[in-house]
Amino acid sequence: METTKKKFNWRGLGVSLLVLYIVFLIGPIASLDVPSIVTAIKANPIQLIQFLIIGISNGAIIAIIALGYTMVYGIIELINFAHGDVYMIGVFTSLTVLSVTGTLDSKDPVKIALGLILALVVAVVVGAVLNASIERLAYRRLRNAPRLAPLISAIGMSFIIENLGLMWAAQAWLVPSFGTTGGASQKVFPDMLSVMFNSLGQDVNLLASSGLPLRFTIKDLLVIILAVSLMIGLYLFVQRTTLGKAMRATAQNRDAAKMLGIDIDWVITATFLIGGGLAGAAGLMAGLYNNTAWWFMGFRAGLQSFTAAVLGGIGNITGAMLGGFLIGLLASFSDGYLSTRWTNAWVFTVLVLILLFRPTGLLGEQTGQKA
Amino acid sequence: MKYIRSGITFGLIGGALTLLFGGWSVAVIGSLMGIGLGLALGGSFERKDPLKIAATVLPSALVAAVILVALSFYQNSVVQEAIGKRPFAANLALNANLIGFFGSVLFAAFVAAIHGLPQNQERAIKIALLATLVVLFPFIDKLTALRWTAQIIFALIFVILGLGLNIVVGYAGLLDLGYAAFFAIGAYTTGILSSPQHGIFLNFWLVIWIAAAMAAVWGLMLGAPTLPLRGDYLAIVTLGFGEIVPVLFKNLTDVTIKEPLTCWILPGLMNLFGAQTTMSCITLVEHEDLTAGDKGISPIGRPSLPIISPNEAVGLALVVKVVVLVLIVGLIGYYLFRAISSKQYKRVAGLAAGLLAAIVFFIPLPHPEKGFMATFMAVIQPGEFKSNDPTTWYFLIIAIILLSIFVIQRLRDSRLGRAWMAIREDELAAAQMGIDPVRTKLAAFAMGATFSGFAGAFYAAYIAGIFPSVFDFSTSIIILCVVILGGIGNINGVIVGGLAIMTADRLFLPALKDFLSSLLTHTILPSISDPVVQLAVKDNANPILYRFLLFGLTLVIMMAVRPEGLIPNAQVRAEMHGEEATAEKAKA
Repeated sequence: METTKKKFNWRGLGVSLLVLYIVFLIGPIASLDVPSIVTAIKANPIQLIQFLIIGISNGAIIAIIALGYTMVYGIIELINFAHGDVYMIGVFTSLTVLSVTGTLDSKDPVKIALGLILALVVAVVVGAVLNASIERLAYRRLRNAPRLAPLISAIGMSFIIENLGLMWAAQAWLVPSFGTTGGASQKVFPDMLSVMFNSLGQDVNLLASSGLPLRFTIKDLLVIILAVSLMIGLYLFVQRTTLGKAMRATAQNRDAAKMLGIDIDWVITATFLIGGGLAGAAGLMAGLYNNTAWWFMGFRAGLQSFTAAVLGGIGNITGAMLGGFLIGLLASFSDGYLSTRWTNAWVFTVLVLILLFRPTGLLGEQTGQKA
Repeated sequence: MKYIRSGITFGLIGGALTLLFGGWSVAVIGSLMGIGLGLALGGSFERKDPLKIAATVLPSALVAAVILVALSFYQNSVVQEAIGKRPFAANLALNANLIGFFGSVLFAAFVAAIHGLPQNQERAIKIALLATLVVLFPFIDKLTALRWTAQIIFALIFVILGLGLNIVVGYAGLLDLGYAAFFAIGAYTTGILSSPQHGIFLNFWLVIWIAAAMAAVWGLMLGAPTLPLRGDYLAIVTLGFGEIVPVLFKNLTDVTIKEPLTCWILPGLMNLFGAQTTMSCITLVEHEDLTAGDKGISPIGRPSLPIISPNEAVGLALVVKVVVLVLIVGLIGYYLFRAISSKQYKRVAGLAAGLLAAIVFFIPLPHPEKGFMATFMAVIQPGEFKSNDPTTWYFLIIAIILLSIFVIQRLRDSRLGRAWMAIREDELAAAQMGIDPVRTKLAAFAMGATFSGFAGAFYAAYIAGIFPSVFDFSTSIIILCVVILGGIGNINGVIVGGLAIMTADRLFLPALKDFLSSLLTHTILPSISDPVVQLAVKDNANPILYRFLLFGLTLVIMMAVRPEGLIPNAQVRAEMHGEEATAEKAKA
């Protein structure tokens, strides 16, 4: 790095201090009350580690969804608004599979394991096919239109899929556990993992023997293992296989890739297939981890994952993983030390701040002004 | 033959609507259908003998009217019983259907015939017709007991919102996905400044300006840091803002602001070095409930026309009213005179319609049962805004819309407006020509927010209560739908889009829901024996639940089929089809 020695930037320091002062002044409105946070951490430092664990597990799910955003953006520079809703459909698909196969009522670990694997496969396939059909129906013909056209189409698609979820959640004849409360209410996603590993249906705490008041359950472990293996698999796929190479080439320069004989349409479809499959898998994971299914969950999850993708540097796969974990941690600390109701506002504040000060993200290259 | 086909189409659409609404709706829908048919057919004729055009259109108008009336009779005789309601009395039904029949035929022929006149006359008559419709609508609505005005007012609120968003999206080309935030700011400003929540009761006519200014200030505050971003990044940041603002209003129920230096920074530092401090903490606000959270702020003060309210001395009120009337009549006369000499039909007729609206604005409709001639004559009555009578509200919002249209038209044609469009077409080129992009975009943001503030203030006063859930992301998307369906960058398009979307959402869907549910309970469900199927059918027959499916479909289909909207702006249309046109040229 060659930098010319500059005079110390007093003005910058002053502005930063002023901003800091204003944050401290009005922060307490949004629960950012530094003294009470410090007191809380001092009183119970172990809790910090607990929030760390929760943050990493949730972050793993966010990272998986963020991968879909970042891959699609890398290739066709479109924010696939409907992606979060594909994830929501993944939750409902896996819940329906579990219900139809009778896994929900079963106590037999082997049967539950088989049911979960089947649910994973079906959720991945449904997510992939759904995402690819969204591309085919709503985005393909707009590839050369003004930039805002596909974005608006994506928002429309997101609304359509949310309503599909809403309809799905009302079909009590298909999944009896939806009950008669209608499609708009939150549904319970039964905690199958605990049933599988513990005949009493309690959560298995892997840190129980350490004597610390910490919980690191089998759920956390499985979510993290599954997420990390998906990430490693995707990374190897993109780096080592021919299709992965074609994807990278298309992302760099679509026209040049076309000239070299790469079937652009297929590469884009494949990208959507992979992204959708990941979202479907994330749906099953999130359902098992958070134990809820709700037609609107895709919107919030989508925004958090998009923020993660931007934070890591949109278009950058490693960046999306990093961003996912960071956003998960931020959300978890905000839930723990600030207040749950402000978490989304803080996530968005982070998004705005990144876009303003480092639009390329943490690991991103010069893509900011292309947007 | 093709005329007959559009006659059948219109007849079926109108008939389907009468099937849903029933009662007197056949008269209103028939007339509106006639106007629509006349507009649709008239455009295809050359400018020649108007009577000949009318004669050509007449058969298809008759076909449409016959279909409409047939369906209406079917509604009254069969459907009413199927949905468990008493049929309309025979003589009333006959009257309504006669009005509907002749209304549709006559209007279709008349409106089509207008197209044979010279262009300026055609436009003047069309505008006069439109103005008459707009002014008479609430009275007709009252006479026919349809109760549509209250819902139309919502549509008109969204028309203002659409006009404001159109500045940002249509003129300046910035996709704003959080526009409802400014709507919320306008509404909450009104709520805070004229409700018992804080014991402040400012006059509505003052608050509406404060609300607009507040929204504009927030537009500037949001825009200043974010507008250097482009395209979809800007869209996401605005979306984030649109998400944060309702969260803020929802959660600002216990606001405490303490000065941090004296409260904990300095004492903390001193404690660190072992010194005991007795610094007093400066507290600015403590446990202040600013927005009442999910409960919402209510009741919010209503507007009144203070000079002519019934509490004023009669003499003064009378003098003021006479003065105002003389002014209005004089202005109309003056502008009509100028219209004849300068042929500026369009603007002048619009102004005349506005003034006419302003006159009727003074009419409180004290005795609707006397019919609207009596109420029309009652100009020398004080004007009031009541919760149970939407008429005055209707004219207030019409006045706000006319004002907005006027201002937006002037803005569009001004130097600033042309700068917006230059930025939209090519930001780099515009910057090279000496336009400051950030400042221009900021102006667009602030102007857009201003109109949203007006709409918010009106909304708050009209509903008399505001709740944070009204202003979430879906509202922003509805406003975006209004702009996109109608035609990006086109004022008329946005008005049509707003009316179409909101009447579908507020009138059509609820009517469909009522229709379906009563049809189910009275006819279909008893005939289904299997309880599982019965439950499944009952659960899924609620179109309101899936209303956002409609908005999503609107966006996707419009983008795929007609991205420039129903009534497009010529420039936007060329832009949206630019690539295709060049591709076709290359092929040829």
